[in-house]
Amino acid sequence: MLKIEDLHVEVDGKPILKGINLEVNAGEVHALMGPNGSGKSTLAYVLAGRDGYEVTKGRVLYKGQDLLEMLPEARAAEGVFLGFQYPVAIPGVSNIYFLKAALNAIRKHRGEDPLDAIDFMKISKEKAALMQLPDELTKRSVNDGFSGGEKKRNEIFHMAVLEPALAVLDETDSGLDIDALKVVADGVNALRSSERAMLIITHYQRLLDHIVPDVVHVLIDGQIVRTGDKDLARHLEAEGYTEVRDAMQL
Amino acid sequence: MTQERQTLLDSLPSSFDTGPRWLRSLRVRAADVLRERGLPNKKTEAWRFTPVRSVVDREFAHADTEAPRLASSAPDGVTVRSLRQVLEQEPALLEGRLAHGESEHFAALNTALFAEGLWIHVAAGVVVEEPLQLIHALPRTSEPGVSYPRVLLTAETGSEATLIETYVGEAAEQLTNSVVEVELGPNAKLDHVRVHENAGLQVGRVDVRQEADSSYRSVVVTLGGALLRFDVRVLLQGQGAECRLDGAYLVDGDDHVDHHTLVEHKAPRCRSDQTYRGIASGRGTAVFDGIVVVHRDAQKTEAHQENRNLLLSETATVHTKPHLEIDTDDVICSHGATVGSLDQSQLFYLRARGIPEELARAMLTYAFIERVVDEVAHEPTRDRLREAVLAVIPQGEAIRGVT
Repeated sequence: MLKIEDLHVEVDGKPILKGINLEVNAGEVHALMGPNGSGKSTLAYVLAGRDGYEVTKGRVLYKGQDLLEMLPEARAAEGVFLGFQYPVAIPGVSNIYFLKAALNAIRKHRGEDPLDAIDFMKISKEKAALMQLPDELTKRSVNDGFSGGEKKRNEIFHMAVLEPALAVLDETDSGLDIDALKVVADGVNALRSSERAMLIITHYQRLLDHIVPDVVHVLIDGQIVRTGDKDLARHLEAEGYTEVRDAMQL
Repeated sequence: MTQERQTLLDSLPSSFDTGPRWLRSLRVRAADVLRERGLPNKKTEAWRFTPVRSVVDREFAHADTEAPRLASSAPDGVTVRSLRQVLEQEPALLEGRLAHGESEHFAALNTALFAEGLWIHVAAGVVVEEPLQLIHALPRTSEPGVSYPRVLLTAETGSEATLIETYVGEAAEQLTNSVVEVELGPNAKLDHVRVHENAGLQVGRVDVRQEADSSYRSVVVTLGGALLRFDVRVLLQGQGAECRLDGAYLVDGDDHVDHHTLVEHKAPRCRSDQTYRGIASGRGTAVFDGIVVVHRDAQKTEAHQENRNLLLSETATVHTKPHLEIDTDDVICSHGATVGSLDQSQLFYLRARGIPEELARAMLTYAFIERVVDEVAHEPTRDRLREAVLAVIPQGEAIRGVT
C-alpha cells in the first residue's frame, strides 16, 4: 500500500528526514514512535502534501503511484487520510456540509454518483454515534470552539465517513484524557480492516495499549533506528528514548 | 426632456424661496458652507482615498427619479408621509428633526437641494414585525444624472422596527447622494439593513441619534460599485444606548468602495460594536475608516471596533484605519484591523480531506463574509443576500448547494 524509499526532507534548508524506509501493507497497523523533534509530523505532512517541505531525495509509492507528484486533494481522493495533530478551526464552514463536500469530491474522483443529503445524513449520524459526537458538533463550524478531545473525535469521525485506504494519524492521542482516548481508540479499531493500512504516529505508548500495532518503528533524528513488534513500544515506555539513543550511539 | 447639465456646485441656487423659514435658513447655511469650502478633494483628510474628483468635476442633470417608496403599505402604528407634503402642510412637525446637526460636503448638498423624501414615523410602544422595505432604484438612462434621496425615520419611545433599504441599478452615470436620518427615542430599537447592489455612483450617509437605552443595529452589504462612499454616524446621547454596526463589502474589477463610520459616545454606559469585513479582488479598492470618540462625560463606555480584509489579488488595494479618541478614563475599548490572504493551514486542511483547491478557496472566501450576512435577522433578506454574495465571489457558483 505505502512504500517509502530513502526519503530525505528539508524544511527551510534544514534536513529533518534523513533517509526513511518504511513499507506498510493493507491490513497492517504500524506505529511510528519517537521523541519531540524527531520528524514524525514532518513525515505525516509530507505524505498528505503540505507546502513547505522539500523532498531532496527518495520517493514515496502509494498503490504503486508516485504519491509526491499528487495534489493534496488528489491524495485524499485516492484514499489517503491524515488525522491532524492540531485540527484547524474554520469559522463559517459547517463541519457537516464540508464533510459531505469532501465525500462527494472523493466519490466523483472514483466515478461514483454524489450522495444526496438524506443518504449522507444516514451515514454521518451512524459514524457520529460511533464517535460519541453530539449532533450539535457535527453542525457547528469545523472545529470551532471544540475542546481538544472533541477535535480528535471529529478527526476520527471524518475518517469513518471518508473510509480511506491509508490512514496516517498524527498524535491522535495528544491532549486526550483516558475516557476520550478510549473513544478514539475504539473508533480507530472499528476501522481496522484487511483492506486498510494505518500509520499511527505517537510519542507515548499508552495509545498502543488500545490500538495494538502489528509493527512498531522508532524514529530518532530523522531516521528509523529500530523496528520491532508491539513489545518494542512497551520497552520504550519503560526505558525511554534516551536508552535507544545511547545504544545506537546517536 | 433633456435638462441642462451642471457641476454639483454650480447647481446650487442663489437663493432659497420656498419651504418653511427654518428649512430655508438650513439650506442657505449648507449652500454657504459648500461655496466657501467646496466639495472634498484629495487633500480633505476624510476623503483622502476616495477618488471623488470624477464626481466633483462631472456635469449632471437633475434626475427625474421618483421619491423612495415603501415596498408595501405601512403597518399599524407606522406613518409614512412625503417630506414635501409635511413641509408644505405641517412644517413645524419636522423642525429640529430634519437636517438636525451640522452637515458638510455631500450631505450639505443634499440638505440644500433635496426636493422630496420620506418621513417614516413609528409610534411609541409599537412593535413592527414585518420589515419596512425601501427600494431606491436608479433610472434606466445613459444621461448623467444626480438624485438626492432623503429619509427621516423617527422611532418613538419603546418602539421596535426593521428598515431594509436597497440601492440598486445598472446606470453607471447616475449619482445618488442620499441622506438617511434616524432618531431613536428612549428604549426604541431599530434594525437597519442597507444593501448597495451594483449601484452606480453612490455617496450616502446615515445619521443616527440615540436616546437612553435605545438600540440601533446596522448591517451594510455592499456588492461592488464604480464609486461608493458610505458614512454611518451614530451619536449616543442618552445613557445606556447601544449600537452595533456591521458591514460586508466586496470589490472586483475597477470598483472603489469606501466605508466610514463615526460613533460618538456622549453619554455614560453606552456600548458600541463594529465589525466590517471586506474582500478585494481584481483591481478593486476598498477603504474602511472608523472613528470612535468617547467624550469626557461618557464614563463606563464600552466600544469595540474591528475591520478584517481578505486580499485576493495582487492588484487589489485595501486601506484600513480604525481609530479611537478617548477623553475619559473609565472605559473598555478595543480596535483592530487586518489585511491578509486566505489562511494556508485552513486551505490545506480542506484539501487534505479531498476538497479541490478552487472549491476550498471559494468556501473560505464565502465563510469570511457570510458571518456578516448572518447578522441580518430578516430571513428572506438574508437568503437573498447570501445568493447575491455567492454570485459575486470568485468561484462562488461552485459552492452553491455545498454551504
